[in-house]
Amino acid sequence: MLLRGYGTAGPWEWLTLLLVACAAWASEITFELPDNAKQCFYEEIVQGTKCTLEFQVITGGHYDVDCRLEGPDGSVLYKEMKKQYDSFTFTASRNGTYKFCFSNEFSTFTHKTVYFDFQVGEDPPLFPSENRATALTQMESACVSIHEALKSVIDYQTHFRLREAQGRSRAEDLNTRVAYWSIGEAIILLVVSVGQVFLLKSFFSDKRTTTTHVTS
Amino acid sequence: LALYFHIGEREEKCIIEDIPSDTLVVGNHKVQRWDLHMRDFLESAPGLGMFVTVTSPTSEVLLSKLYGPQGTFTFTSYISGEHIICFQSNSTRFAVIAGSKLRIHLDIRVGEHFLDESGIQAKDKVNEVNIRLENLIEQIHHVTREQEYEREREEKFRKTSEETNSNILWWAIVQTLILISVGIWQIKSLRDFFISKKLV
Repeated sequence: MLLRGYGTAGPWEWLTLLLVACAAWASEITFELPDNAKQCFYEEIVQGTKCTLEFQVITGGHYDVDCRLEGPDGSVLYKEMKKQYDSFTFTASRNGTYKFCFSNEFSTFTHKTVYFDFQVGEDPPLFPSENRATALTQMESACVSIHEALKSVIDYQTHFRLREAQGRSRAEDLNTRVAYWSIGEAIILLVVSVGQVFLLKSFFSDKRTTTTHVTS
Repeated sequence: LALYFHIGEREEKCIIEDIPSDTLVVGNHKVQRWDLHMRDFLESAPGLGMFVTVTSPTSEVLLSKLYGPQGTFTFTSYISGEHIICFQSNSTRFAVIAGSKLRIHLDIRVGEHFLDESGIQAKDKVNEVNIRLENLIEQIHHVTREQEYEREREEKFRKTSEETNSNILWWAIVQTLILISVGIWQIKSLRDFFISKKLV
């Protein structure tokens, strides 16, 4: 899928490029998981590929979710309950379809927004048409290091964005809760105080005929 | 198209993309239907297509198109915020047919066209480095746009926190005033009541 032209390349270079390009993949998706729901994703992985699954809950309830990663033979590679954020790296021990599921089944009415990033394989090298025998020129090595640095910047930015989204979601929850609770409390205060006085007055009004003198 | 998931025939599945403005998003998708006879997902079923709908943060529809079983959609965001991309098949069958489900393959790339679109063949070394540098510049622009968006969101976050703070303060004052005034009213009212009943 990631076939691109990198200058002039012979057939062997194309083949290695093809193999390397197919091995590298990263999917990141943010989706909403309704209450009592489970959402599973599948990916076909070649044996020996190093993969990383990272997920984070952005909004909803206690900001936690169950996550489960299974291999092609059904063996559970990773299982965690009620986690807010985690990162799991593994090497595929066999070819096949790997499945990972997020479950919100423990929650009764909050739906969660979950972000996950599933990285399969390493990224292809920037200048693959160079055979490894000759060293890269200074320009090319500078490009490579800038590219790596920028990739890491973008990665940090994504993480920061998610943390900020989570923090903001909590702050907005807090704000609405404070508003409603304060209004409710003020109303209760008024109602109870006024009610107390009328109740007390009613104790003394009815028993006119059988009054017991309250000696002061 | 490696990552896939299953949905029902008429079900709509949405994903959220929180992106800055002027960002290009490219998505590749493929949909397959489960065949009961062959007990496998067909490569392509006749007439099967997918509705892709993209909604901006202001609930404006940016894209709403019907694609075939396999396709690519792109859109550029005008406003920064949460864009919602929804997928729904155009199947008219109901999920009552037992075991019928769809498999959707998905690959979404946000702002990251700096590596894929260079289908331009570089003629020589200088050109190749040139292309690389242009890609790097594009990457840096993406980082800058994200930073700008982050600044906007931090401002919103700070406003919410300050609003909570002033809410708490204001409501605490109001409640204390209510408490004091109601207390005074209570005592006065009861005193007048008891005096009128000749109990005091």
